[in-house]
Amino acid sequence: MITRKDLLDIESLETSEVEFILENAKPFKDLFTRSVKKVPALRGKTVLSLFYEPSTRTRTSFEIAAKRLSADVTNFSVSTSSVVKGESIQDTVDTLQSMKCDYIVVRHKASGVPGMIAEMTDASVINAGDGFHAHPTQALLDAYTFKEILPEMKGKRIVIIGDILHSRVARSTARCFHKLGVEVGFFGPGTLIPDAVPEFIHTFRSYEEAVAWEPDVMYLLRLQLERQKHNFLPSLREYHQTFGITHKRFQALREKGTWIMHPGPVNRGVEVADDVMSYERSLINQQVENGIAVRMSVLFSMQPRVAARALGDSGESSS
Amino acid sequence: MIHEIPNGPQLFQGGSIATESDREAKRADLLVEDGVIIGIGPALGIPEGAEVIDCSGKILLPGLFDMLVHLREPGREDEETIQSGTEAAIAGGFTGILTMPNTDPPIDSAAMVRFVQSLARENARIPVQTAGCISKGRLGKEMAEIGDMHATGARLITDDGSSVQDPNLLLRAMQYARSFDMLVGSHCETPMLNGEGVMNLGSMSYKLGVPGMPAISEEICIERDIRIAQHAGARIHIQQVTTSRGLEIIRRFKNEGVAVTAEVSPHHLLFNEEHLAPDYNTSLKMNPPLRTEADSEALLEGLIDGSFDVIATDHAPHSSYKKNMDFMAAPFGILGLETALLSLFDRLIKPGRLGWDSLVRAYAKNPRTILGLDEATGLKEGASLNLVIFDPEGETQITRESLQSQSHNTPWLGKTLAGNVESVWLGKTRLI
Repeated sequence: MITRKDLLDIESLETSEVEFILENAKPFKDLFTRSVKKVPALRGKTVLSLFYEPSTRTRTSFEIAAKRLSADVTNFSVSTSSVVKGESIQDTVDTLQSMKCDYIVVRHKASGVPGMIAEMTDASVINAGDGFHAHPTQALLDAYTFKEILPEMKGKRIVIIGDILHSRVARSTARCFHKLGVEVGFFGPGTLIPDAVPEFIHTFRSYEEAVAWEPDVMYLLRLQLERQKHNFLPSLREYHQTFGITHKRFQALREKGTWIMHPGPVNRGVEVADDVMSYERSLINQQVENGIAVRMSVLFSMQPRVAARALGDSGESSS
Repeated sequence: MIHEIPNGPQLFQGGSIATESDREAKRADLLVEDGVIIGIGPALGIPEGAEVIDCSGKILLPGLFDMLVHLREPGREDEETIQSGTEAAIAGGFTGILTMPNTDPPIDSAAMVRFVQSLARENARIPVQTAGCISKGRLGKEMAEIGDMHATGARLITDDGSSVQDPNLLLRAMQYARSFDMLVGSHCETPMLNGEGVMNLGSMSYKLGVPGMPAISEEICIERDIRIAQHAGARIHIQQVTTSRGLEIIRRFKNEGVAVTAEVSPHHLLFNEEHLAPDYNTSLKMNPPLRTEADSEALLEGLIDGSFDVIATDHAPHSSYKKNMDFMAAPFGILGLETALLSLFDRLIKPGRLGWDSLVRAYAKNPRTILGLDEATGLKEGASLNLVIFDPEGETQITRESLQSQSHNTPWLGKTLAGNVESVWLGKTRLI
């Protein structure tokens, strides 16, 4: 049972809450193989997606999740071109509050904005990614995917590779795995690995060192290709050779049976060589599928303030 | 609120006087006539006809001076005016301020200095000193008319919030300023290292997922600017030092005998990066940013041992709608004037971590000395009255309504601080 209104980051969740969300995702996932994939859990509720940053995958994943719970789903379009620096979040949220939606799924380029919005509204706020700060539903779906193949998570190992510095995924996913007893390592170029990572993280000086640690899963982060322009790395070619899963490295991983994860979308030939995409131990497509089940579980688990009041009513009308 | 003091002597009786030489305030009465202190001592008799002002249990300290204040006039009168800003200063126990030149247009000419001074004469009840720009338009390209500004009374030149990046321009400006013995103020940062950073770079910036500003950005610039000043033979004042290494650099040059003075703010002493979690409070966003707890501890030591000459607020009013934006988009800067003395008292003096001597030295005496102001400021015989009566047993609530400033961007909003500025006296006038 979870009594919280909002899902803002992984850090504030109790381990038992993480486990609760993961457990509840399973029955939702079981629906996906039926001809009718819908349950009435959120019938009559409104889920609003408020994306200040462009996103197709996460937004669609939330939308499908909400619809499979029978919620009404609305996209509040914040045209990225019209969002000038200095827009008032308060004004937007006041508008949304008047529309009486029950859940707001937020993505914003600035860290902390979902938390600000959560303070301003009765609706449940679900963070769909804020700045470099957090992406809790990605972390939960990653954990779910990991647990599916490695049910006994404690003592297992995962190495997250790439642009740790600018990655909300790395922050949330590392934290989530740590809560579940998985050992976490980071590997990437010196420019993209922060000096001050949490103390529970292992860091490696070379790819070979990371492999020698014998991780069960290699988790590749998407590289924003414009990083090259700001001198974080000299070339995509060198990145692939040094920090990517090259064809040669892939063959060694395959022999060991190491699993591969990636939050998507993949830059083929940068994070991974092309043939990795058809690897039988690539979990990338499972991550996408599980994302819907986990987001259903998240929506189902959060408690909007308005909904809590409505539940307390005897049913007909409130005073 | 202007009260002309009636003629005849006044006896401030029963209080304790804070001085630069004693950690604790010492029991003494103060006798004043025609706005001038004529007697000081532990138990002065009451002269005939004297008005007695009961100061039992109160602290008497010289009026403070803040040498880093943004008044926003001209340009952003919706955020602060010379009137509202100086009223905020008085409410906080200040009887003098130095206003920064990042107005719109900037104070980069004698005409602008005169304009701001004339506004101050009309609207302010305390003297307002003016700083001028180093470069025209604060653009860091061409030297401003420093000589003219000096002749019209500008007390310091600084590009205020914009570090002069071109070392040649800075060198020339310092050499030129030296000919007028004009003090050069440096806001120290290396913008290319800060990039899009909006808080200290470190474990907290990682945790919060916010781009960070590395300490070396500030430290490299401190080192560079003092070296240039040393080479030019100019007097330099380092504004808003925030890191322990920055402080170490200043100590090193001071030991070499370089004419460098340095300042620390109340907020860098009392807050650190940890306070930004969990709510990304934009009233704790400023540049240079809050650093680590260890830095704050080092800064306090620097204040106590005299490495810091000055405390200054960097009072920076911003409208609520701007500060209510997300942490990346909200502007840098927080209010300071109305909470500086109170917060230092509440968090440092009352718990015994800082003596009144440090406060009087760094917040009343030194700023005036450094700026070459000849106002007699000490509470001593023959000096013009410049006095704050502070109630250490009182308390002050900081609310939107209580603030004289037109803006409300202070981390103390909604808080109650120990102590109360009971009255402020300047010459023959009681200001509050």
